[in-house]
Amino acid sequence: MRLVAFIVLLVIVSAPTTLYAADTTKLPAAADSEIDFVQNVQPILRKTCYSCHGAEEQEAGLRLDIRSRAFEGGDGGKVILPGKSAESRIVMMVAGLDEDAGIMPPEGEGTPLTPEQISILRAWIDQGAKWPDGVDDASQSSHWSFQPITRPRLPSVGDAAWMVNAIDAYILARLEKAKIAPSPEAPRSTLIRRVYLDLIGLPPTPEELNAFLSDESPDAYERMVERVFASPHYGERRGRQWLDLARYADSDGYEKDRARPHAWRYRNWVIDAINADIPYDQFSIQQLAGDLLADVATEQRVATGFHRNTLHNTEGGTDQEEDRVKKTVDRTNTVGTIWLGLTVGCAQCHRHKYDPLTQREYYQLYAFFNSIDEADIDAPLPADQERFLLAKQAFDAEHGKLQDVVTAYEKAKLAAAQQVWEKTALDTSVVWRDVEYKSAISKHGATLETQKDRSLLAKKTNTVADIYTIATTVMQPVTAVRLEVLPDDSLTKKGPGRANNGNFVLTTFRLQATSATGQDAPKEIALAAAKADFSQKDWDVAKAINEDSADGWAVNPEIGKRHVAVFELKEPVHFDGGTKLTFILDQNYEGETHNIGRFRLSFTSGKLPATLEGLPAIVGDALAVAADKRTAEQAKQVTDYFRTVDPELAKLNKIVSDHAKKAPKTSGVKAQTVSQRAEVRQTNIHIRGDFLAKGDSVSPRTPTVFHDLAPRSEQADRLDFAKWLFAEDNPLMARVTVNRIWQRFFGRGIVETVDDFGTQGELPSHPELLDWLATEFRQQDWSVKRIQRLIVTSRTYRQSAAYRPDLAEADPQNVLLARQQRRRVEAELIRDLSLAASGLLDTRLGGPSVRPPQPAEYSALTYANSAKWQVSKGGDAYRRGLYTFFQRTSPYPMLITFDSPDSTECCTQRTLSNTPLQALTLWNDPAFFECAQSFGWRVLNSVPLSADAEQTVADQGRYAFELSLARRPSEEELAAVVELYRAQLDWAEANEEAVAKIVGKQKPSAGASLEQLAAWIVVGRALLNLDEFITRE
Amino acid sequence: MNSNWQQTRRDFFTSSASGLGAAALALLLQQDGVLEAADVEANPLAPKQPPLPATAKQCIFILPAGAPSHVDLFDPKPKLRELHGEKPPASLVENVRFAFVKKETAVLAGSAREFSKHGECGMELSDFLPHLGTCADDICLVRSMHTDAFNHHPAQLMLTSGVPRFGRPSMGSWLNYGLGSESSDLPGYVVMSAGRGSSGGVSNWSSGFLPSTYEGVVFRSQGEPVLNLNNPAGISRDVQARALDTLTALNKQRYEALQDPEIASRISSYELAFRMQAAAPELIDLSGETQATLDSYGVTRKEPEKHNFRGGGPNVYRQFATNCLLARRLIERGVRFVTLVHASWDHHSNIDQELGYNTGMADQPIAALIKDLKQRGLLDSTLLIFAGEFGRTPLWENRAGRKNDAVGRDHHPFGYSVFMAGGGIKGGLAYGETDEIGWAPVKDPVHVNDFHATTLKLFGFDHLRFTHRFKGLQVRLTDQGGKVIQRLIA
Repeated sequence: MRLVAFIVLLVIVSAPTTLYAADTTKLPAAADSEIDFVQNVQPILRKTCYSCHGAEEQEAGLRLDIRSRAFEGGDGGKVILPGKSAESRIVMMVAGLDEDAGIMPPEGEGTPLTPEQISILRAWIDQGAKWPDGVDDASQSSHWSFQPITRPRLPSVGDAAWMVNAIDAYILARLEKAKIAPSPEAPRSTLIRRVYLDLIGLPPTPEELNAFLSDESPDAYERMVERVFASPHYGERRGRQWLDLARYADSDGYEKDRARPHAWRYRNWVIDAINADIPYDQFSIQQLAGDLLADVATEQRVATGFHRNTLHNTEGGTDQEEDRVKKTVDRTNTVGTIWLGLTVGCAQCHRHKYDPLTQREYYQLYAFFNSIDEADIDAPLPADQERFLLAKQAFDAEHGKLQDVVTAYEKAKLAAAQQVWEKTALDTSVVWRDVEYKSAISKHGATLETQKDRSLLAKKTNTVADIYTIATTVMQPVTAVRLEVLPDDSLTKKGPGRANNGNFVLTTFRLQATSATGQDAPKEIALAAAKADFSQKDWDVAKAINEDSADGWAVNPEIGKRHVAVFELKEPVHFDGGTKLTFILDQNYEGETHNIGRFRLSFTSGKLPATLEGLPAIVGDALAVAADKRTAEQAKQVTDYFRTVDPELAKLNKIVSDHAKKAPKTSGVKAQTVSQRAEVRQTNIHIRGDFLAKGDSVSPRTPTVFHDLAPRSEQADRLDFAKWLFAEDNPLMARVTVNRIWQRFFGRGIVETVDDFGTQGELPSHPELLDWLATEFRQQDWSVKRIQRLIVTSRTYRQSAAYRPDLAEADPQNVLLARQQRRRVEAELIRDLSLAASGLLDTRLGGPSVRPPQPAEYSALTYANSAKWQVSKGGDAYRRGLYTFFQRTSPYPMLITFDSPDSTECCTQRTLSNTPLQALTLWNDPAFFECAQSFGWRVLNSVPLSADAEQTVADQGRYAFELSLARRPSEEELAAVVELYRAQLDWAEANEEAVAKIVGKQKPSAGASLEQLAAWIVVGRALLNLDEFITRE
Repeated sequence: MNSNWQQTRRDFFTSSASGLGAAALALLLQQDGVLEAADVEANPLAPKQPPLPATAKQCIFILPAGAPSHVDLFDPKPKLRELHGEKPPASLVENVRFAFVKKETAVLAGSAREFSKHGECGMELSDFLPHLGTCADDICLVRSMHTDAFNHHPAQLMLTSGVPRFGRPSMGSWLNYGLGSESSDLPGYVVMSAGRGSSGGVSNWSSGFLPSTYEGVVFRSQGEPVLNLNNPAGISRDVQARALDTLTALNKQRYEALQDPEIASRISSYELAFRMQAAAPELIDLSGETQATLDSYGVTRKEPEKHNFRGGGPNVYRQFATNCLLARRLIERGVRFVTLVHASWDHHSNIDQELGYNTGMADQPIAALIKDLKQRGLLDSTLLIFAGEFGRTPLWENRAGRKNDAVGRDHHPFGYSVFMAGGGIKGGLAYGETDEIGWAPVKDPVHVNDFHATTLKLFGFDHLRFTHRFKGLQVRLTDQGGKVIQRLIA
């Protein structure tokens, strides 16, 4: 059909104007009223023409939604001739008067225009086709939420005394108009629990409850609210709500669903940022583009972890580019939902069906997020970092002092010590001189390569009983020779031998010598003694020079280290003109390849006995020169060497290096962050959303329906976009945000579709209130807390939630808020409430995710049991619900049972179900039963005993109510609880075994019995299952 | 939630004839003096009539996760055998991606299985499925299925929820949402698993954006059938009953004070939970089944000497057979939707041996289930589905470094087979054809979403009108497309 339309239009548009000869008398006459383009014409074009001649498609090259293009016309020329409607082709076409072309829109593509509409179109053209500036559809929409926000005037109300703040004015005005009276204030006990649950997600303690109930000052409520706002648990409560939007989880999702050990670091940032009440613009910009801020701090990078909460597929065969595209799409859509309240994702495959967003614009938006790189960075927690820096400072000071001692010694005493040392240095240690290998031969074909340090490294063939023969020429007399065997990475266990255990056996070490200038055959040199730094048991180095050729020198188990053997000659050897020395290393160890892997040979002319270690030749030579005759270089060589052997300096240096080992360490905490690629990725439109079907390339741009972007440079980036969101003329961000804030306190938004402010969303129930709050939000420097304070202190908020028969017909959905709204609390809070009421809650803030106990069979349902659940120990088993490790493919069952989002995409509003599985969880989940046990114990042991036993039970019953519901029971309620207690006590006395199981590890205190404890546990378990217990009223 | 209640309220009054479960519940609660009649329809699982005539009322969905090979089980391809070992036409693999197959060296692979005709309809099935062959005349075999997703998890979500992404309700959730449950003592949507888990995990029976009321509840065939079903040690059923009385009384007092229907709903949830505590153990207690029944399903059969890892743990044969029998018992008790999962059929290697192991496990119990349902008159209203997330390549998987004696097949979304029985589907029908090598449909293609549309039709829903509002859109199971295949319906 589209193709037909295209051809038809092509024919029409390409027909020359002059040949046009249709009967214009059949045209409806132009209307005689004054025509306004926006009011009268644009709606017709929008409805009839744009689908083929709009932003997405321009059949026959014609586009009618933009003034310039409309007047330009199509492939065949102009279609609108101002002042001449009868000659304007657009009129003839919509009238169906072109015999060749048929009618526009073509059959099946839309409804033909009525004669009235054609009259309007004609009149508009005849009146000059005035098309005002700035009304093009591509740049404007008449939809309410795209209009600028202005501060509305406060409505006047009849009962001004009811009002506390502006919110109440808007609410009351509507109610008065509907002739509905607001509800009375909720009881104080309800109010305090409501405020606690809404702001920190924890119940007030009986002490806090009673303090508030007995506070008679007029501002008792406001002061209570301030106290709650100041709690650090405030960040946890609002933080968890934000995590819903941020689709936070502790694993990747998909088949492999790998754990994300650093994800929690972002959660910490959220909690801290909220507790600091960082203004919402900063809060947002840091998450969206913290990495692009000037002088970016670690915390701002951590904030970008927001973008890392996407799913990530590591299943075999996954196309990595496809996965990256999916993440980018998710990032784009999530941002659209949170900050614009728009379902931008609808435009991923085609133009948005309902909102003014083209597919091109979608990918322009997408382009902002298309140059993200993922990076895990070191991100110590601020407090840890502060502690670290303090400790480091203290350490550095201490370390400096120790170094000063060294410096002082070097300045004051080192020279003197050197003089003393020099006097005896040549007498007490020999000088070992390296030799230059003339040849180095392996009998069995191993290669012996000279290394930089003048050692020889054996490679290749490694056969049994190799013999190495190394020849050299020396000029000085030889009194002893030295063999160093050295470790090397190329050797098994680093050697120094080539055996499988790193060992070697030198069965016989021989030395031959002759004159380097004469022709005499080398003579065997007699060796008088051998010593080594280490010899293997039964394999002493002396055995390398004895008669027995089966034994020898070995070094197991001191493997992988350097060892030294020195062989002293019976008589010094010296020939004028040089001595040709031949070393023969025989490794005739039976049956095994125990050859030396790496070694170095040297000799000395010094006095015997020769030390294993000695002076380097260069130092020895310098020392041989009198101190005042040495060259500067020689002097330095001596001094440098002395520094390495001076025992006093070594001692002082060791103190420094030992201290260095105690240097404070950074915490090792990492964070998932994003950064911007140096070279941006090119973005293309994905035709029909298929990432392989690349359409036009696009650059980052904001949709034309909105205010302009003000990029910092030519290429707009994420930071420009983030700042654009908070521009004065953004009509959506403030409205969407205050609406979401509002929803958390009344169960429904002023716009019920909190995630959709587009044309398919609901209209606001109180548009002026919404705009007032939006402007207030800006005026209050984007402080979410201040908006919340306004709401919580309003009269509207403080109303009772009780249903009213008179509202059943008038306002069944409670849209007008003539009362508060009861709501079951979120999954995490159900856990928190039970732990708090029972006294088990570990209130520590932040930190890595924890794994409270869960049924073992549950994680077995994941792919090949991939999600291992190591139950956390100690207090970590009793942390608040928001810290529970969230494994995407097998989330903690209790959370899912109570409608926690699956965290796969941005969740603006949780569903609230009411199921038998929830009942079973609260009754029987071991975690909740443990709460009941502890709760029972608290009730039994916290109430002072009264002389009257009846009275004691009643007091305990009241206390149980305060603990669980933060209120005092009615007589009827108390009677029901006491009755259950009595029945269970009777039962308990007859069921000793069961009682033992019920009380578990709890023990009654003095004066109380096991049976009483068991009875209170059963009662407590019932109270912790009450609808009211898990409901914020 | 309020709008839901309003909705349910209307449905209750218009469908009270079928509202047996809810009516019974209402009666019970009224007898207890807990609720006024009008409160009870807050029960979101109250049975409802579908908008159109329906043949199917209940469903058993067998999910062989991992994707069974169609060319070795359902779709005989003699030509593929002829071409065994030859290179596939370049045009075929040119624009196709594989998980592991290397295109350059890929070769065609005929099946080692023999196919023969079964039943009056003469349906050709592999010798791996002898028992199923005896049900051929009740089976509707679709040989021309195709899907969009390529990897397991997305494709499983495509199959179970209509789109290859997280977050959408599974078909069982949709049907519970639309029809409620006939069972007053058990959840409306029950899932049972044999062997190790599937890659989609719980997302395969998720209620997505629908309330969790409609989520599949995992039952186990041994021990505690439902998570947290048993009372804590020491809490007897009497104690539980007594505590529940007080709980209900206190909830009721609150309800009287505030009139919030959510409280009434809470009360009925607790009552159902209490009944489930008795009904669920009774469900898995097979002592009332005859030996003949147990034998027919293979509940008591011997496990194979060698179990293999891919096929599941040591008792997987008996476990799967038990699950099939429990599926019948769940259907008898009015449960709307039963999912039986077994993973995995992901035979990248060693396919002939491992596929044989799996069919050895599945063939007999599934055939017994079909016959048992039929014999009890339940097959007419119960739709049984056996469908994997995709098929497997007619090519050998030639991953680098793998020897030819352990060959397998790679993922293949372009054409594969599923079968159905009962619930108004046309038995004895082999629908659609793939080409000579089993690559893609050449006749009567059925997209996964067509399968969804057709299933909904059997249950009395126009798939285009069965919607739920989410994120500004009226969302449906067949959002990405799909049409009813009329010829699959009897």
